[in-house]
Amino acid sequence: MAIYSAEHRRLMEIFHPSGSQEYSEVLTSLGSFMEKEILPVSPRVDAGEAKIAPLRKKLFDQGMCQIPFPEEHGGLGLPFSVYANAIELLGTADASIALSVEIHNAVAEGLNRFASPAQKKKYLPSLLSGKTLASFTLTEPASGSDAATMATVAEKRGKEYVIRGSKMFITNAGEADLYMVFAKTKVGPSCFLVDAPNPGMTFGADLKKLGMKGSRTSEVFFSDCRVPEENLVGAEGKGADYAKEILHGARIIVAALNVGIAQIAYDKSVAYARTRRAFGKPISEFQLIREKIADMKTAVNAGRLLYFYASMVKESGADFSSEASQAKVFSTEMSLGVCDSAIQIQGGYGYTTDELHRHWRDARLLTIGEGTSEVLRMLIARREMARSQ
Amino acid sequence: MTVKVWAFSEAPSSANEAAAAARGIAESAGGTFTVVGVDDGLGLAGDDKLILRSAAKLATSPEAAAEALARAVKEGGPDIVLVGATRNGKEIASRLAVKTGMHCVSDVFGLALTDGKLHGRRNVFAGKLLAEVVAPVPCVAIIKVGSYSALQPSAAPGTTRDVGEVSTKTRVVEQVEKKRGTVDLKGAKLIVSAGRGVKKKEDLALVNDLAAELGGAVGCSRPLSSDMGWLPEEHHIGLTGISVHPDLYLAVGISGQLQHVAGIKDSKVIASINSDKSAPIFEASDYGVVGDLYAVVPAVMKELKARRH
Amino acid sequence: MKVAVCVKHAVDEAELKVDSSGSPLLAGAASKMSTFDKNAVEEALRLKSAHSGEVSIITVGTVEAKKSMKEALAMGADRGVLVVADPLTVETRRTAELLAAAIRKGGPYDAVLCSEGSSDIYSGSVPPMLGELLGLPYFGYARKVEVNGQTARVERALEDSVEVVEAPVPFIASVVSEINEPRYPTLIQIMQAGKKPMEELAPDAILPGSGPAPTLVASMKAQTMARKKVVFEGTPEESARKLVEALAAEGVLPR
Repeated sequence: MAIYSAEHRRLMEIFHPSGSQEYSEVLTSLGSFMEKEILPVSPRVDAGEAKIAPLRKKLFDQGMCQIPFPEEHGGLGLPFSVYANAIELLGTADASIALSVEIHNAVAEGLNRFASPAQKKKYLPSLLSGKTLASFTLTEPASGSDAATMATVAEKRGKEYVIRGSKMFITNAGEADLYMVFAKTKVGPSCFLVDAPNPGMTFGADLKKLGMKGSRTSEVFFSDCRVPEENLVGAEGKGADYAKEILHGARIIVAALNVGIAQIAYDKSVAYARTRRAFGKPISEFQLIREKIADMKTAVNAGRLLYFYASMVKESGADFSSEASQAKVFSTEMSLGVCDSAIQIQGGYGYTTDELHRHWRDARLLTIGEGTSEVLRMLIARREMARSQ
Repeated sequence: MTVKVWAFSEAPSSANEAAAAARGIAESAGGTFTVVGVDDGLGLAGDDKLILRSAAKLATSPEAAAEALARAVKEGGPDIVLVGATRNGKEIASRLAVKTGMHCVSDVFGLALTDGKLHGRRNVFAGKLLAEVVAPVPCVAIIKVGSYSALQPSAAPGTTRDVGEVSTKTRVVEQVEKKRGTVDLKGAKLIVSAGRGVKKKEDLALVNDLAAELGGAVGCSRPLSSDMGWLPEEHHIGLTGISVHPDLYLAVGISGQLQHVAGIKDSKVIASINSDKSAPIFEASDYGVVGDLYAVVPAVMKELKARRH
Repeated sequence: MKVAVCVKHAVDEAELKVDSSGSPLLAGAASKMSTFDKNAVEEALRLKSAHSGEVSIITVGTVEAKKSMKEALAMGADRGVLVVADPLTVETRRTAELLAAAIRKGGPYDAVLCSEGSSDIYSGSVPPMLGELLGLPYFGYARKVEVNGQTARVERALEDSVEVVEAPVPFIASVVSEINEPRYPTLIQIMQAGKKPMEELAPDAILPGSGPAPTLVASMKAQTMARKKVVFEGTPEESARKLVEALAAEGVLPR
C-alpha cells in the first residue's frame, strides 16, 4: 500500500484546493521513494544493523530539507503543511530517520528566522541541500523543560565566545557539522553556531534508547570551546525566545511524525487481524477487535487533521503556539495508544517481534522530547485562557 | 478447409514445443503442420520439416531469420505461423508480422482454431488475469515457453530451402556463452528459491544446502539477481525472468510480489517460509511457514535428514 | 544526441481489482508508468549526459498518460509527445505504427529506446516492430548500450549467451530492467516538470486513413490460484515438522 495514500491526497485537496495537485505530486514521489529505499531497511535500522546516514543523505538529495524554506536560499517555498505531511510519511517509513531530519530542519528554521544575512548565506544553502547536518543543542543533564536554568555558559573574550558546560539527549550529536548551541552569557541565554570539528566540543557515547534506534543521541561537552563572535545568532539574551519560536514549529512536525508512526502500526494491525484466525474465523471479524480498529483509525485521522490545522494557522501568520502544542500533545499520546492497541491485536507476535513493537518504542520518546506533555498542557491552558478573557 | 500450420524457432527445442502446439491445431481442425528451422536443422521434430538457410548463420541473427522466414511464408502461404517465445523468437515473430501484414499475438497457449480464427489464452497483468485472444487467420502466434511438451526430434530429412542473400543492419561482434552450470530451472522438478529475507550473500548457503538435500535447483526473486547481483540472471524467476513448473517450489524469504508469482503459477505444490505473516506469498502457497528462515530452514534440514534414516 | 523513449502509462497490476465475477475493474483503476519504462528513460538520460542532447518521451495513451510523461520529464527528459488513444483498445501493431509515425514526425532521432515489455501486457512485440517499420537497426534485450561516434555497441542478454552487436547510429533498442537503476527525480525537478513542453497528436493526423484497429484480446478474467493456503505457525521445529509431513503427503519430496 502506498505510503502517500488516496486519503492523504483528499486531505491535501481540502486544505489546499488550488495547490494540491503539485503538492500531491511532490509527496507521491517522496512517498514512493521512502517505500522503496527506506521502509525495507527500517527493521535493520531498529536492530542497529544499518546506519541511517546513507539513507538520510539520499533523502536530502531528493530535497527533503528544502520543502518549507524560501527559494532564495535553495528552498522549494512550499506550505508548511506539505513539509509536515512529508515528515508524517517519513515517520511511517522510519521514525528515527524522521527524528534526525526534523531536528536538522529545526535548526534550518532557526537560521531562517533569526540569523543575519551573512550567517544565512554561509549556512543555509548547505543545510537545505543536506550537504551539512545540523543538531539542535539545547537540553542539559539538569535542565530540560526549564530551559532558563541552563548551566552552559558563553563568556565573551575579545572577538570570541568561549563556551563551557554540557548538553544531554542531543539528536545528531557526534554526526552533525553544525550545532545550534544555547548558552548563557551575562545578558541571558543566547544562541550560538558551532561548526564541527571544534577542539573544545566533544561527544559522549551514543545513548542506548528504548526506540528511535537509528538516530544518534548523546551528550555534548563544551570545554574551552571557542567560537568567533560572528557566530552569535541575533542578540545576546534572546536565545530563549528563539528556542521557543523554533520549538513551536517543531512541535507540529513532531505531531506529524507520530501520526506517521500510528499509521503504520494501524496498517500492520489490520493486515494481521485479517489473516490471524481464532475460533474458526479471522480475528478481524470479532467485535472487540473491530472496536480497536475503529478507535485507532479515528485517532489517526484526528491527529492528522490537528497537525494540518496547526500548520494552516502557522501559515496564516497568526500565533500558532497553542495549536502546535495541542497537535503535539494529542498526537504523541494518541500514537502511544494506537501502538499499544497494535501490540494487543498482534498478540504474542506483537510482544516478541521487534519490527512490531518498535512502533510503540519509537513513539514513546515524543511525549517527553521537544516539550513534555505536562509543560505543553500548561502552555495551552495559559494561551486559551488568555484568549477567552 | 485444411489449415496449414507452421511451427518455427531458431532454437530446435523451442521449435519442437511449437510443433506440439501446431500438431494440436492441425489434428483438431483438420490440416497439416510443418516444423521450420534454420541452418543445419538438426534436432527438429515432425515428419514435415522445412530448413531455411542463407549464406550467413540465421540462428544468431533474428533480423536475418525473420527475413528468411518471411520469404518462405510468402512462398509457402501457411495460415498460422507459431513461433517459440525465445527472446530472439519474439523479435522474429514481430518482424514477420510487419513484413507480411499478419496479425500477431504473444505469449499464448491453449491454442485452437475455431470458426476460422485462432483462439488462445495468455497471462496479462503479471498473471493476475487470464486473457482470451482471438486472431483472424492468417496470423503469427508467439508460443509461451514451456506451455507445450516438446515433440521428440525425428529422423525425417526435411526440405532445405536456400532463401538467398539476407542483409542485416546489425553485426554480431562477439558471442559469449553463459556458463551453463547445473542450472536448468525451466525443466527442474524441485526448486528452492531465495528472496530478500536472506540478509547476506553468504547466507545463500542455507538455501543451497536445502536445495542439495532435496536434490533440487536454486532460483531467486529479482532483487537477488538484478539489484544485488548475488546470483546470475539465469536464476531469476518471475515475469521478466524464467517461468518454472516444478512439482515443488519452495520460496525462502520471498515476499511474493505479483511479478515473482507470475513465474511460479504452474508449480504443482508451492511452499513458502517468511517471517511476515501478511506477506502475499502465503496467498500463493499451498503450505506456508510463518517464521524466521534462519531458524526454520535448519529445522527443515533436520527433519529431512531424520526422514532419510 | 536526440533520444526518443517510448513509454506506456499502464494500469497498476498490483492495485487492479476484480469484481465478484472476476472481471477486471479497469475504469478508474490506479495507473502508473509501466514498471520497466523507467529503465529505458534512465538509459536515455545517461546517453544524454554522455553525449549532450535531448530526450523526448513518446507515448500512445489517454490524457491520463501525461502523469507518466511528467514523471519522465521530472527524471530529466526534455519534452513529451502524446498520441491520444487508449492502448488497451488498440492492437499491438497499430500501437507500433502510431509510435513510428510520432517518431518520424519528431525526428530524426539518433536512438529510440523501449523497455523489454510493458508491465501490464508484456508482449515485447512493439520494439522489434518499430525496428521493422522505421527500417532502423534494432537491438533487443540490451543490458548495456554505448555510442561511440556514429557506432552503437550493445550487449544483448539472451537465454544462453551475451551477444555483443554493433550497428551505425541511428538505432532502436529495447533494454532489460537489469541495465540500470532509475534515478529518483528531486522534488524541484518534479515541481518544474509541468513547465516542459508536452505535445498532443491525434492518431489520424499522423497516420492518415488508419481505421479502427481493435485489440485481439476478447476478454479478461481473474485467475485465482487455487492454492491450499495452509499456514503453519509455531516454533521453527514444529512448523518444519508439519511442513515436511505435508510435502511428503503430497508426494513431492524425493524418496
